[in-house]
Amino acid sequence: MDYFLQLAVSGIAIGAVYGLLAMGFAAIYKSTGLVNFAQGEITMIVAYIAWTIATTVSGNVVVVSAGAIAAAVVLGLAIERIVMRPMLGEPVFSTVMVTIGLAVILRSSITFIWDAYPHALDLGTGRGIIRIGGLGVRGAQIAVVGTLLLLLAGFWLFFRYSKFGVAMRAVAADDRTALLMGISASRIHAIAWAASSVVAGIAGIFFAISYDLSPDMYQLGLKAFPATILGGLDSVLGSGFGGILIGLTENLAGGYLGSGVKDVAGFVMIVVVLMIRPFGLFGERDIERV
Amino acid sequence: MRRSRLASLLLAGTLLTCEPAVAEPGLTDTEILIGDVEPLTGPPALLGVGHTIGVKIAVAEINAAGGINGRKIRYVFEDDGYVTARTLQGLKKVIDVDKAFALLGLSGSGQSVAALPELEEAGIPTVISVGPVKPLWEPPRKNVFVVGQAYEEGIRQLVSYLADKNPGRKWGLVTQNDDYGIAVLDGFEAVVKAKNLNVVYEGSYKKGQQDFSSDILRVKDAGVEVFLAGGIISENVAMVKELEKLGVKPVIGIFWPGRIEPVIRLMGPPSDGIYAVDYVEPQASAAGQAFLEKAKAILPEAELKGVNRYTFAAYAAARTLFAAIGRCGKQPTWACTISELENTKDFATGTMAPISFGPGVRFSSQQLKIMRIDFATTSFKPVD
Repeated sequence: MDYFLQLAVSGIAIGAVYGLLAMGFAAIYKSTGLVNFAQGEITMIVAYIAWTIATTVSGNVVVVSAGAIAAAVVLGLAIERIVMRPMLGEPVFSTVMVTIGLAVILRSSITFIWDAYPHALDLGTGRGIIRIGGLGVRGAQIAVVGTLLLLLAGFWLFFRYSKFGVAMRAVAADDRTALLMGISASRIHAIAWAASSVVAGIAGIFFAISYDLSPDMYQLGLKAFPATILGGLDSVLGSGFGGILIGLTENLAGGYLGSGVKDVAGFVMIVVVLMIRPFGLFGERDIERV
Repeated sequence: MRRSRLASLLLAGTLLTCEPAVAEPGLTDTEILIGDVEPLTGPPALLGVGHTIGVKIAVAEINAAGGINGRKIRYVFEDDGYVTARTLQGLKKVIDVDKAFALLGLSGSGQSVAALPELEEAGIPTVISVGPVKPLWEPPRKNVFVVGQAYEEGIRQLVSYLADKNPGRKWGLVTQNDDYGIAVLDGFEAVVKAKNLNVVYEGSYKKGQQDFSSDILRVKDAGVEVFLAGGIISENVAMVKELEKLGVKPVIGIFWPGRIEPVIRLMGPPSDGIYAVDYVEPQASAAGQAFLEKAKAILPEAELKGVNRYTFAAYAAARTLFAAIGRCGKQPTWACTISELENTKDFATGTMAPISFGPGVRFSSQQLKIMRIDFATTSFKPVD
């Protein structure tokens, strides 16, 4: 039983990281109709910024968190304003290619700005090991699950009750009608990019505390993307749950079936789910009036 | 008329009999150009940057002493980002455009192997030190020399050592599912067969994997007592941290591609006592300290941080190449350099055991050392 529980706990913890990233994917898709292939790279950049703050300014959790979140907001807004807004109205394929180009630039910037060595992000008690019965778990792993749950609740409230949240849903549903209703699509896009960078950055920080920083951290984006597809590309909340499901499935498959199966387990689940629900577990079916 | 014809004949004869002042590419009256292709961006930049720093130290040292027979060395290198197609492009550039006289490097083991046909065709003297793998020296290529030791042999000696120290224990291994992992597995299985080791877990992972929770839980569940972490850098760190999280403390061995000092800080206290194998001197040894002192006098502060085992290896390879060129006298040629590399015998560089090649021998087969992590001093220390 301990074996199963340890696999489940570790799977949920890494799944929460995927889930946060996946929420970022969905937030951008929901408001802009775009898949941001630089999501993993944004995660990595914010984590490196957090490490820089922790090692040069202060190792205080509040200072590092505030600094990293502010940096994530600036990064998200800058990408939207400088890179994405000029692409408004251009074919989706071109815009997606721009995000791929952006990913390569951000990835390379790590060794230019920082270095190629892995680094430890030692914040608070995040790296400490908590033992519950026969289980071992790091503080950051518990914190990331709690954060995911809080953000899921926060996003649900935001979309349901806040003016901006309702406006985002309106833009996602029909941006032209939303525009006619006086909603600024550009502002909504900017908020989506900023929010996406923040949740991705939070994921990156928790991941770096648990597993260290390294220039190949961007690969988290590749792991989280299936979570978004599974949960529903247009469902921020579904993507969060999708991450947990992917992490759990991967770990259970790795623990019971072998490490080779671990890599493909999540994708097998996606294939099966998409065959039954092509729009993901929590995504909305596109209905077109003909 | 007759006089002018005679003058023309004399001039033609002179041109035919005298050798040109500079006979080979990359040579001028004042300098010798050395080329290289390394990963300078992305995670493998760790080895590429470390390597170029080692060559720069050797170049600075030689140039400060007046160069090679009066010619200063100039070092040019291309970034391949650890992408083989870019290695080949970079190689073409340093050979055909920059016109290098000789090459050092070359990127990772896979990239070096892919570059072999190009190197053979060009015939340029080349000393490889980054990723020593058998296809680079078996069969031997006339102009390609390899400084180092085979991965399989390194693992064989490490596992043999640990097996002798830990008789009757249960063994486990997790390694990468690529050429590197196969070499590790080959070395491991050779000893398993020879010493009849009790292997209770063998696992592999895909390059880039960051979460090893299920893999290491299986290691624990199998009751592994001696564990070979067959990752490179961040993978080994992740494995050791998972072992710590699960509260198990097997005897651990790691391999030289990941034997760099920053891993000790990343692993934290559980790194203490981990065994490693390498043919390059550890920084904590007397030879290592002497080299670091040399580096401090030459390198700016920012570059000093990039010094690692690849710096030590590159320095040795560069000094070996420069010595061979030096023995060719005032007018070195490719043929002479290759011949002198072949004649290299017990050449001491200070960063590893003396280097030797020989007729038909293009692999220096460096002597290996077993070492252990001392967490208190954040260093690898040789074991007796």
